[in-house]
Order: sequence, then C-alpha cells, then structure tokens
Amino acid sequence: MSVLIDILLAILVIYLALQSLLAPRLSQSVFLFFAFGLALALAWVRLGAVDVAITEAAIASGFLGVLFLDALRDFSPRSSEEQKNISTVQNSRSRNSVKSLLLPRLSLVLGLGLFLLIALEAVWNIPDGGGLAADAEKLLPQSGVEHPVTAVLINFRAYDTWLEIGVILLGLLAVFAVGKIQIYRKPIPVVDDILLRQVILFFTPVLFLFGAFLLYFGKTGPGGAFQAAVLWGAIGILLHLGGRPIFLLIPRWLGQLLLTLGLLFFLILGFLFIAGGATLFEYPPAYAGVLILIVETLAAISIAAALTAMFANLNQMKKEESNKIDSTN
Amino acid sequence: METYQIYSLTSAVLFVIGIGGVFISRHFIKKIIATIIMGGGVFLSFVSFADRDALAFADPVPHALVITGIVVAVASAAFALALARRIYQLTEEESFTNDK
Repeated sequence: MSVLIDILLAILVIYLALQSLLAPRLSQSVFLFFAFGLALALAWVRLGAVDVAITEAAIASGFLGVLFLDALRDFSPRSSEEQKNISTVQNSRSRNSVKSLLLPRLSLVLGLGLFLLIALEAVWNIPDGGGLAADAEKLLPQSGVEHPVTAVLINFRAYDTWLEIGVILLGLLAVFAVGKIQIYRKPIPVVDDILLRQVILFFTPVLFLFGAFLLYFGKTGPGGAFQAAVLWGAIGILLHLGGRPIFLLIPRWLGQLLLTLGLLFFLILGFLFIAGGATLFEYPPAYAGVLILIVETLAAISIAAALTAMFANLNQMKKEESNKIDSTN
Repeated sequence: METYQIYSLTSAVLFVIGIGGVFISRHFIKKIIATIIMGGGVFLSFVSFADRDALAFADPVPHALVITGIVVAVASAAFALALARRIYQLTEEESFTNDK
C-alpha cells in the first residue's frame, strides 16, 4: 500500500515538473511550479525528512513562487497575440531550415535519453557507504540539542551554515547591483486598503509567533533557523505589499545591522572559541544549547531581512520606472 | 521495491527533465524553473540515500546539506531573476536570441 502511494507521488512529481516546463503560458508554468514544490515536499515527508519538507514548502515553493509571480507582472504585459506572432515567425523559420535543425534536435533527444539511462544506472547501483548516522547518533548528547538535523546544521557542520548565510548576503548584494539600488530607496505611495490592513494586522503576529515556535522547536524536533527565517521574511513581504516597506521605515544603519547580524555573530563566536583554545565553531558542551539558540535566532533574523530585501528590490524593478529614469537622463 | 529506490529513480528522471528544460525552453523564467527542477533532483537523491542509511533516525548530514542547498539555490535563482528582469528592461527580450 505504501509503495503504491510512493509510486503515485513519484509520478505526480515527474508529471508536474514536465508540465511546468511544457505549459504554453508563463503563468501556467509558475503555478505548476508551485504545485511541483509542494508535491516534492510531500515526497520528503515520505522519506522522513520533515525539516527539508518545511524548508522546501516555505522557501523553494513559497518564497521563490512569490518572486516568480512578481516577475510575471513584469514579463506578461506583452500580449499573448504578440507571442503568437513570434512563435509563428519562428515556426516558418524552422520550416525553412528544418534540415539544419533536425540534427541538433535529434542529438539533443538522443543525448538526453543516454544521460537518463546513465543517471538511472548510477542511482540504482550507488554503493552502500553506511552514511554518517551512527557518528551523529554517538555525538548527539554533546551537541546541546536533541534533534540530529539541528545538531548537524548549527554544531557539527556550523562552517557550512555560516558560509551559507554569507552566500545569501552575497546573493542580495548581487540583486542590489543588478537592480539599481536607488530605485529601491525611493519611497512608494502608501496603499490604504481596509482589507489589506486587516490581513496584515491578523497575519503579522501569527507569522511571528509561528516562526518563533519553529525556531525554538528546532531544538527537539523538525524546525530551526531557516524555517523560522522564511516565516519572518513573509512578514516583511506582507508589510512591503501593504505599503510599509520595512527597510525605508527603519534607519539605514539598522537595516544593514539586521542583514549582517547573523554572519557577524557567527564569526565573532568562532574567533572567541579559537581564542579560548578550541577550534572554530567547537562549542563547549555545557553552553552549547544556549549558544545554538542565540546563533539560530540571529541567523533567522538576518536571513529574514535578506529575503525581505531581495523581494523588495525585485518588486521595485518595474519597467515603467526604469524607462522614466532612462528618458530623464 | 523499497521507498528510497522509488525516489532515487525519480531523482534521476527529475535531473534529466531539468537539463532538457535548460536546453529546450526559451523564456528566461522557464530556464530558471528548469535549473530549480535539476536541483530538486539532486536534493531528492541525497535525501533518498539518507533514508537508506537510516539507523535510529535518518542520516542527518544529507538532510542538513539539502536544507543549506535549497536556500542557496533560492538565493541564486533570485539573482538569476534579477538579471533576467534587467535584460528585459534594457532590451525587451524574454529569451536568448541569435538573430542580431
């Protein structure tokens, strides 16, 4: 019975992935991508990876889906008629040069088929290395937390997590660099919508509490800094959509502090450990629980701030505004 | 057939779908979606082998790596999206074209 569920879920995931790439319209693609992320999250629950499932549903499906939806508004003004024209032009062109296109297409299909066979063979025959579960189980009492995934993330492999916060910050800087930072600093008109205001008033405390719960619960069960960060980032996005862009309301230095807090605290902590005679990120077992909770809280604040800033910056990249600036220059 | 075997085979199929999508699809957003699907395939294979190596609990190291990986993939996708929107602002093109 459970095998049947798994097979159905696997077929669903593959179908949604194919459809999100083959759908004729962009909006269909984006919504099928939402569904793909949620189906994948279900697959992870089936594999016993609840932490990964929460992260996938929240960030890969939710946050990224929001970014894609926001981009749709930018891309889709071009009418479907125009797109049809383009595709007919392309069709007629491809009819003219059907012979020159046949070879690349054939080789692409053959190559992909061959690659699929190789990949299937590789995952089928992957050698059994035993994994690191036994080591993690042995060291878990020293880590300061009871949930193995949190122990690995913040304690055993803290280096990875620290650098990952750095990668997010780097991604944000790249988005700033591409998207013209001065557009982002421009205040946007405040929307006064009763419904929107009530939604914000209702959801902000709920999201905040649920994020804090996930953060604290990460000590003993699925949850932790990243899941909490996405929920807190959702607060920032909600406030931004409600006409209260959080990075314009707080002073600039405070925004920069929020963005770098997690990275800085992690780094200072690591150097303090080195100064105390231990190696980088080697928590003393007596204080590990408290230190991990502080690190997770600050990391969650930083990641939430980075996600909010990413959305805010991408949201401001409207075509009209850049045209206005270009014409005034 | 074990659970992890079903999902590891699925992961290979997803990866190939993603690669095909990167080559075949034209629009920027579809190309970005294709790379995310490729990443999903890789993460699925990681987690399925974590399930295979489970003792008292599933192997936590691949889980932690996948969580970090998902967040990094999203950050890079956001950057790709920013680039795509900037290209569209400047050139009004929604895909890579060779006829110029």
